[in-house]
Amino acid sequence: MELTLNINGRDHRLSLDPRTTLLDALRDHIGLTGSKKGCDQGQCGACTVHLEGRRVLACLTLAATVQGRPVTTVEGLAHGEALHPMQAAFITHDAFQCGYCTPGQLMSAVACVHEGHARNDDAIREYMSGNLCRCGAYPKIVAAIRDAAPQMAPKTGRV
Amino acid sequence: MADDAGRRPGGHIGQPHVRIDGRAKVTGQARYPADEPTTNPAWAYLVISAIARGRIRGMQLEAARAVPGVLDILNHANVGQEVKSPMGPDGKPTTTTLESDRVWHDGQIVAVVVADSFEAAREAAYKVVVDYEAETPSATFDSPGVQAEALKTDATHSYPLKGDAAAAFAAAPVKLDARYETPTQHHNPLELFTTTCVWDGPKLTIYEPTQSMWGLKAAVARQLGLDLVNVRTVSRFAGGGFGGKGAPTSRTAWIAVAARRVKRPVKLVPTRDQGFTIATYRAETQHHIQLGAERSGRLLALSHEGWEISSRPSSYNVSGTTTTARMYACPNIATKVSVVHADRNTPGFMRAPPDTPYMFPLECAMDELAHELGIDPIELRRINDTQTDPVDGKPYSSRSLMKCFDAAAAKFGWARRNPQPGSMRDGDWLVGYGCATSCYPSNIGPATARLSLTPQGKAAIQLAGHEIGTGAYTLMAIVVADRLGLAVEDVQVTMGDSDLPPVPGAGGSNNAASTTNVAAKACEEIRHKLALAAVQAGAGIFAGADPAGLKLADRALVGPGGRREPLATAVSRISSGAIEVHVENVPQGLAPDAAAALYQGKMSMSRGAERKDVTAFAFGAQFVEVRVHRRTCEIRAPRAVSAFAAGTIVNPLAAHSQYQGGAIWGISSALHEATEIDRRVARYVNDNIADYLIPVNADIGEMDVIFVPEEDHRVNPLGIKGIGEIGIVGMNAAVANAVFHATGRRIRKLPIRIEDLL
Repeated sequence: MELTLNINGRDHRLSLDPRTTLLDALRDHIGLTGSKKGCDQGQCGACTVHLEGRRVLACLTLAATVQGRPVTTVEGLAHGEALHPMQAAFITHDAFQCGYCTPGQLMSAVACVHEGHARNDDAIREYMSGNLCRCGAYPKIVAAIRDAAPQMAPKTGRV
Repeated sequence: MADDAGRRPGGHIGQPHVRIDGRAKVTGQARYPADEPTTNPAWAYLVISAIARGRIRGMQLEAARAVPGVLDILNHANVGQEVKSPMGPDGKPTTTTLESDRVWHDGQIVAVVVADSFEAAREAAYKVVVDYEAETPSATFDSPGVQAEALKTDATHSYPLKGDAAAAFAAAPVKLDARYETPTQHHNPLELFTTTCVWDGPKLTIYEPTQSMWGLKAAVARQLGLDLVNVRTVSRFAGGGFGGKGAPTSRTAWIAVAARRVKRPVKLVPTRDQGFTIATYRAETQHHIQLGAERSGRLLALSHEGWEISSRPSSYNVSGTTTTARMYACPNIATKVSVVHADRNTPGFMRAPPDTPYMFPLECAMDELAHELGIDPIELRRINDTQTDPVDGKPYSSRSLMKCFDAAAAKFGWARRNPQPGSMRDGDWLVGYGCATSCYPSNIGPATARLSLTPQGKAAIQLAGHEIGTGAYTLMAIVVADRLGLAVEDVQVTMGDSDLPPVPGAGGSNNAASTTNVAAKACEEIRHKLALAAVQAGAGIFAGADPAGLKLADRALVGPGGRREPLATAVSRISSGAIEVHVENVPQGLAPDAAAALYQGKMSMSRGAERKDVTAFAFGAQFVEVRVHRRTCEIRAPRAVSAFAAGTIVNPLAAHSQYQGGAIWGISSALHEATEIDRRVARYVNDNIADYLIPVNADIGEMDVIFVPEEDHRVNPLGIKGIGEIGIVGMNAAVANAVFHATGRRIRKLPIRIEDLL
């Protein structure tokens, strides 16, 4: 099927098998491989992207269902050379090791702050528990979010 | 952190540095193998066996072939002869796949469907009908039909015997005799076990996450009968390894064959559940420990017998008795290990392969003995601490075990512990404190590297190294900057490609020692060339000086008294472009041709437990607080403290993450993860990452890490012991010991779950 996806502010015209997930569309048809496939069944969170500002699992989202709705991936977080405060905090705190879950962690972390769920460490832990990290960077992810949250501009519009 | 200024001229080694690949990892630009751009790939989808033992009578492929876009279906009937069977993680025969109609284990690859799209390949794979001749499988220990095989000492494992452990145990005033079990575990790295194969004439390029670039290259070349120069492996980043990407697996050669047949690149992204059976895992183990001691706590006898599961054809084993026999002073030691063959896939390396399952019973037994004797568990370790290897009397290259215990105990607040089990409470929570020894042998292998330096002060180091999350790129940059007197940012590091000089596989915590020592050697070679040219020059401030007295620091050649010649001048004397060296390092104790063997994909390793000169281990002490709810028996681990002494620490920032991640693995190993097996059909049941429990963020509390300073001049020139594995080793026993302290219940089987405490 023919469809247009709006990814990181840019339209992409694609011809896809209707069964194609948003994750596969991003990775294999648009070439945005930042979003990762860790389970393809909504268990690990490595494919987390923002759909209209909300975090969703790209592996459980059919590409055909997001036509005309803005999608942001990890590639869309930075402004040019300037990293998003969350990206910078992840580097400073060494909040990753292998880096494979990191795109999903970052997208969840940004959403976690915008949702108002980064009030304290326990809340961060709870609302970041949909993103698995096998390397065990959890304490540093919490520290990075705690650090980045005050530096983030308040979100306007929809959460 | 080591504080040895003489060994770190640039001052970068030992200073925390953010990862030089951090920006790539947080922007989505880090390219994992499945992210590599591929032109017009076809997609592969695996069909795996639904039985654990038997033969394939035939396959009905018509419905699958009729799916639009299907290009090919590989199975034993049409491609069985095209590859030589793979070797297991131990380099010996293992289970096969499409080579024959034989089914060795549940989830074995039996067909590979190739199609124009991922969706078509998947649809067709589900339409493949396999007609099996099934036999009753043997699943695990105590299943009818398993075969036990007692192991003998070989090149990688030994079974220490000393004195008469049986007699000493029988005569000992205090005895501890207990059996322990550890479960099946799967690495479950977040990245799937992907493979992409691309042919260009006779040349094959394989994009596959691996911890062994040259090992994979050589393995596939052998299987396909290709010249080594025609096989290239690429893995710039691996999305977690933990040992699971250490040994080649069957899938790779078949994807190469598929790509050759369809004359297109072929890409495989297997499912999470397939990863449980197409790759390796940590086998379940059983242990029988006997400790005999004097009333003072001094050990008189240690007997450790272990049993491990493996597949039918493979005797892969980890035999951690090599380690446990060397932990404590003891005059009488007996060890023995048997492999139990079942209808299972072949296990393999998983984080601290021998030590995680084998130190668990020893460290629980020490805790039990301490309780029996009424001695503090830390003091029991102190009474039996030793600076010489109890097996053969060699000195330890260094051993800071008790310093680790003392540092961790102070930080943890061990002094607040009431030794009486069940005595500490906080409301409805029973509180327990536990501790255990951690350790890991210090291994180092031969390595090679290419290093260049320009007059502008830019260095580039290239080697077929592995970034699996350890911070390997940054590690190299730090060492080169340190030795060449540059900033870390001035060093470009290229790794993850077998077209680069070979290094050993990244496993057994050898990576840092192997690669930093060759990098330092390459830097020394460049320094020596510059110094020699400077002293031999007719003009120049160092003409006629002793080249050994010239150092590289702050982008200059620096002589006695601080005289400086800018790097630009020094390098330009040799080249206006760049100087480049290719260096091989063969650590002491290895065969002189060990570097040459690397170019054949053959890795040798100087193993810390089996060196001739010293016994080399890193040591640590791990402490944990466990809380068990009085009514629900819910178990939480809100805080832990781990202290490690592992010689020189190159990058404390990444090292902290490694240690902390290892400790979290330990908590996971104790309380969360286990692969459940349906014993009737020898099948993994919880083969997904929601039912296979690993900790989520909310499961993990405070995880303190202490670096205990240690200088080790004997382990290797840079004094590096390796840190990737040690973080996990002591934590599972520490948790079990804390559960005992909280509840008075001694659980000798992992993982410990609510049902064990009801």
